[in-house]
Amino acid sequence: MERQMINKKKRVFSFEPTKLPPSEVFTRKYISHLVPALKKLNMGKSSPQINQLTVKREVDKALALSAQEFAWSRFLLQKLSSSNNPTTTTSSSSIQTQILERSNDEDGEIEEKLKELQKLLPGGEEMNVEEILTEIGNYIKCLELQTSALKSIVQDAT
Amino acid sequence: MDLSVLERVNWLQQQQMVSPDFFEILGSDGREELKRVESYLGNNNDEMQGFRHYETIDGCISRTSSFQMEQVKNNEENRVIALQPKRKTEGKTEKIENKKKKIKTEDETESSMKGKSNMSNSETSSEIQKRDYIHVRARRGEATDRHSLAERARREKLSKKMKCLQDIVPGCNKVTGKAGMLDEIINYVQSLQQQVEFLSMKLSVLNPELEFHINELSTKQFQACFTDLPEAVSKQPMMVDASSFPLQQHGSLDYSLINSNQTTILSSQKDQTSSSWEIHSQCLYNNLRTDSVSSFFSHK
Repeated sequence: MERQMINKKKRVFSFEPTKLPPSEVFTRKYISHLVPALKKLNMGKSSPQINQLTVKREVDKALALSAQEFAWSRFLLQKLSSSNNPTTTTSSSSIQTQILERSNDEDGEIEEKLKELQKLLPGGEEMNVEEILTEIGNYIKCLELQTSALKSIVQDAT
Repeated sequence: MDLSVLERVNWLQQQQMVSPDFFEILGSDGREELKRVESYLGNNNDEMQGFRHYETIDGCISRTSSFQMEQVKNNEENRVIALQPKRKTEGKTEKIENKKKKIKTEDETESSMKGKSNMSNSETSSEIQKRDYIHVRARRGEATDRHSLAERARREKLSKKMKCLQDIVPGCNKVTGKAGMLDEIINYVQSLQQQVEFLSMKLSVLNPELEFHINELSTKQFQACFTDLPEAVSKQPMMVDASSFPLQQHGSLDYSLINSNQTTILSSQKDQTSSSWEIHSQCLYNNLRTDSVSSFFSHK
């Protein structure tokens, strides 16, 4: 069953006949989203302060656009499109799904940590525990890829 | 006592697959018996006919996926799988057991059917006391049982996912327990987000200069991506990029090396990470193939 799921994920990711690994696909998509957006920003030439926020916004947007298979990316896009003032990926949603755990001390801790995790993940407030764990995994991977892509961009520019 | 979730699922799958055939073989008599059992169990009495019957069972089976099951040793031919009753419900189970016995005697001939149900053979039913053949469906009214069993299945699912996350998040191997791992995961996510923020800040500062480099940038990036493809180590550029990040303080790989000496660097790195690839191949997230990135992070 896991095989099937793995294969399914493969299908989701790689459409090319050359069978690129999903990390590649993601990186390319990300860069192809981000670079034109940055170009566009440069054309606009807004004031330096706003610039930083907009860049961050573009960065997040590119992330969300490159990873549309995942739930968190949809939430991220939603947040980005709705807000004029971009924030980091912390959620400010009012809907909170309760994370139910047993009421031991130890589990209370775990519950707190899960809540924190919920806040970190875009859209995490509206997921239950299982979904959070699933989404967090691929969110982390995408963040890693995003980080390395940004690094290479910055490196190239300097 | 308990079978693992996997075994349970297997059993259920088999159950589902076989049920229609089984019922055919069962014949009308068998169905009658099943009806009786079901009615005893307080099942929906509406759906007692033919394949709708099957559907009921099917639905119940899927619902009871979390029930414990135990293989009875007595039966060799058929893997008779029985539900292990909880203490509270023993009274009920006995009665069910009796019903089962009846069914069994009638269905002896069908014993050759692959294991599925408890409906099949067991003249040894008399020997079997507690652990018995309850029809999977034993929708016993014990809410607590179901809850606790469902809870257990849920917890196993969660721990499976946590294991997967362990593979992804570097440094999780040393920590045990959910709380510690969650801590690690939270820290890792936060640090990644901070990195992204930092980088985007840098980017915004550099932005005006970027314009000149942007075209160059995109081609270089894609070059880096493409050149490794024939070697099937396309994740390597990512890994090397990660290493060149100043905060990582790892290694002295220079980004410029990527474009010039890619092959040499990549082949050396490849050996390091090849083992981790195999290990991670089980994990769902392995498809993103950034094992190298995460293992690289963990080297610090």
